[in-house]
Amino acid sequence: MGFEPRIVGFLCNWCSYTGADLAGTSRIKYQPNVSVIRVMCSARIDPTFILKALSMGADGVIICGCHPGDCHYVEGNYKTMRRFPLLKKMLKDFGVEEDRVRLEWVSASEGQRFSEVINDMIDKVRALGPSKIRVSLDADKVER
Amino acid sequence: MKTECKVGVYVCNCGTNIAKMVDCDAVSEYAKTQPGVVVCKAYKYMCSNPGQEMIVKDVQELKLDRVVVAACSPRMHEPTFRSAIEKGGLNPYFFEMANIREQCSWVHESREQATDKAKALTCAAIRRVQHHEPFEKQSVPMNPATLVIGGGIAGLTAALELADAEQPVFLVEKDDHLGGNVARIDLTSPYLDSARDLLTERITHVTKHPKITVLLNSEVESISGYIGNFKAELKTAGGASRQIEMGSIIVCTGFQEFDASKAARFGYGKLPNVVTSYDLEKMLRTGRVQTRDGRAPKYVTIINCVGSRSEEFNRYCSRVCCMTALKYGNEIRSAVPNVRITNLYTDMNAFGKGCEDFYMRSAEKEAVFMMYDKHNPPTVSAAGRRDNFGLLVKVDEKLSGEEVEVPADLVVLMVGMQARDDSAKVARLVNISRDKDGWFIESHPKLDPVSTTTDGVFIAGACSSPKDIPETVAQARATTARIQAKICQGMIWVEPVYAEIDENACSGCRMCNELCPYSAIEYDPVKKRSHIISVMCKACGTCVAACPSGAIKARHFTDQQIFEQIEGVLEWASSHA
Repeated sequence: MGFEPRIVGFLCNWCSYTGADLAGTSRIKYQPNVSVIRVMCSARIDPTFILKALSMGADGVIICGCHPGDCHYVEGNYKTMRRFPLLKKMLKDFGVEEDRVRLEWVSASEGQRFSEVINDMIDKVRALGPSKIRVSLDADKVER
Repeated sequence: MKTECKVGVYVCNCGTNIAKMVDCDAVSEYAKTQPGVVVCKAYKYMCSNPGQEMIVKDVQELKLDRVVVAACSPRMHEPTFRSAIEKGGLNPYFFEMANIREQCSWVHESREQATDKAKALTCAAIRRVQHHEPFEKQSVPMNPATLVIGGGIAGLTAALELADAEQPVFLVEKDDHLGGNVARIDLTSPYLDSARDLLTERITHVTKHPKITVLLNSEVESISGYIGNFKAELKTAGGASRQIEMGSIIVCTGFQEFDASKAARFGYGKLPNVVTSYDLEKMLRTGRVQTRDGRAPKYVTIINCVGSRSEEFNRYCSRVCCMTALKYGNEIRSAVPNVRITNLYTDMNAFGKGCEDFYMRSAEKEAVFMMYDKHNPPTVSAAGRRDNFGLLVKVDEKLSGEEVEVPADLVVLMVGMQARDDSAKVARLVNISRDKDGWFIESHPKLDPVSTTTDGVFIAGACSSPKDIPETVAQARATTARIQAKICQGMIWVEPVYAEIDENACSGCRMCNELCPYSAIEYDPVKKRSHIISVMCKACGTCVAACPSGAIKARHFTDQQIFEQIEGVLEWASSHA
């Protein structure tokens, strides 16, 4: 089997997780490479979560939150929006490719959009190949 | 990892909903190999009584101290299983769900890959649950007062229902009168009862009721607080502000009609004598159906689905227009005896009680029905100078396949319902969500249609989708049943999930103070430390992620718990690569 990316998704409970559930109830199909972790708000996502996932060998991380102006907690997503570029900048310095970490807005009614965002993320990460950390982790394992 | 945990894992087949795409026995076998897991079972319906009893029994007999259920979304059955383990004597927070239905079996097409993903998600849940902490539910008093936003038929009904049960109500209406959209119509379909009669009785009761405070020309400016204990700032008539306190909120803001001038092909706003259904209602209420120059029309053409079921405008069906169009046939004929009526429709939706009979009765009268394709609506233009009628409606008649020109002196456009322009503002105000068309989203479309994702905030009537009067009234009454259930309990249980600051780790930098959207974080200038007022915290976790000292803990969403999930999903994958 070819390279199958492992991606961690952090979804806010109120919009994106509900949107992902809607994709399910609507039976909209998408690729299975993203495993979702639910948080109450995208602003709960500590940058260390993303670093942790990457350091554990995730090929990509996707964060989904409510659209700007629609946050269940008034303005949590604006805080995410401001934190995210800082993290991206740091990841770039670490040599993590641009497309591996992504922030998207998915509302509770956007099941279709959720599936499209996820498929696009998976396709882009698949095109990049395994993350360098994953390659070295796998190599360590073989040595052991 | 806490090695002393005894975890029970239950994998639900959900009939074939999960089992068809996920090998549940394989997931269960795999879960058995995880540290801490002492029992693992796959069962056809975990949420059924036997399923829940299985968990209760295992908790008691095997002395389980943690439970994982891999099944549907936690948004569906987390409360069910929490109460099941509580019944078994376990703290309800010693529970975690893995969503292997909505986010796995229903969305994937390879059984092998879906099974792998289900294992990864279950593994993450098993690891997470071992770091769960017990919490005791908190109770807060329930204010019996209710704020009803919108004085249409829904708001009036809800207000009366609560007030008759001796509960105080604040009814806030933006306009200078009560009645909403129903006050704009003449008769109702299918029984041709007067809308005015429906309203007058209600409005009289509401305005005289000692338990109802009616605030006309008023708007809600802001809302704070939480279920049982909301506060609202109102701008009342004359611009004065007023503060009120209430335990529940019902949003009954209704709909607005589609702006027919957006669909240029019908000529609304350009051609005289092209009117909308609401313009016609005005004529019917005065008893004079006539063209602009005061003559009785000889030909009336009614066009259905204006702005509805359209690729260009609103894609949904507005539900009430078909029967309303039939009603117009009847009403226009009584006002103008020898009139010829043509009804251009896409499909005739006669779904409600009494509606099919009404359609049959109307069809037997001398109206002409012509069907058009919803992708190819009719076009209205001015008639020639020598014609003895003012307008010409061109339609590709679908059943005969012929292009037909229909004469008209009056064209009535059946404009559909759409979300109000201020629906975004209202959603923001009460903290609820809207769908892609702007309608408010219910907590569950089938099982919980009048509550929202914000506890204590309910929706009724056409603010959540097009509805007729009976449905609207039923919803309004449903909201009051939900509210009275809470009032009867006297107090409400709130989730003990909030953020807390470890004062020993806090450096007093006050960064969190500014970030909190609810002003729930206070700074103590003497101790030089911040602390969180738990009832005001809504557990978003913004401050937790921002604290430079790592001093803030999000209950039930701790860093450790989330790290375990990350490791769970990834470790599973890497050990099986």
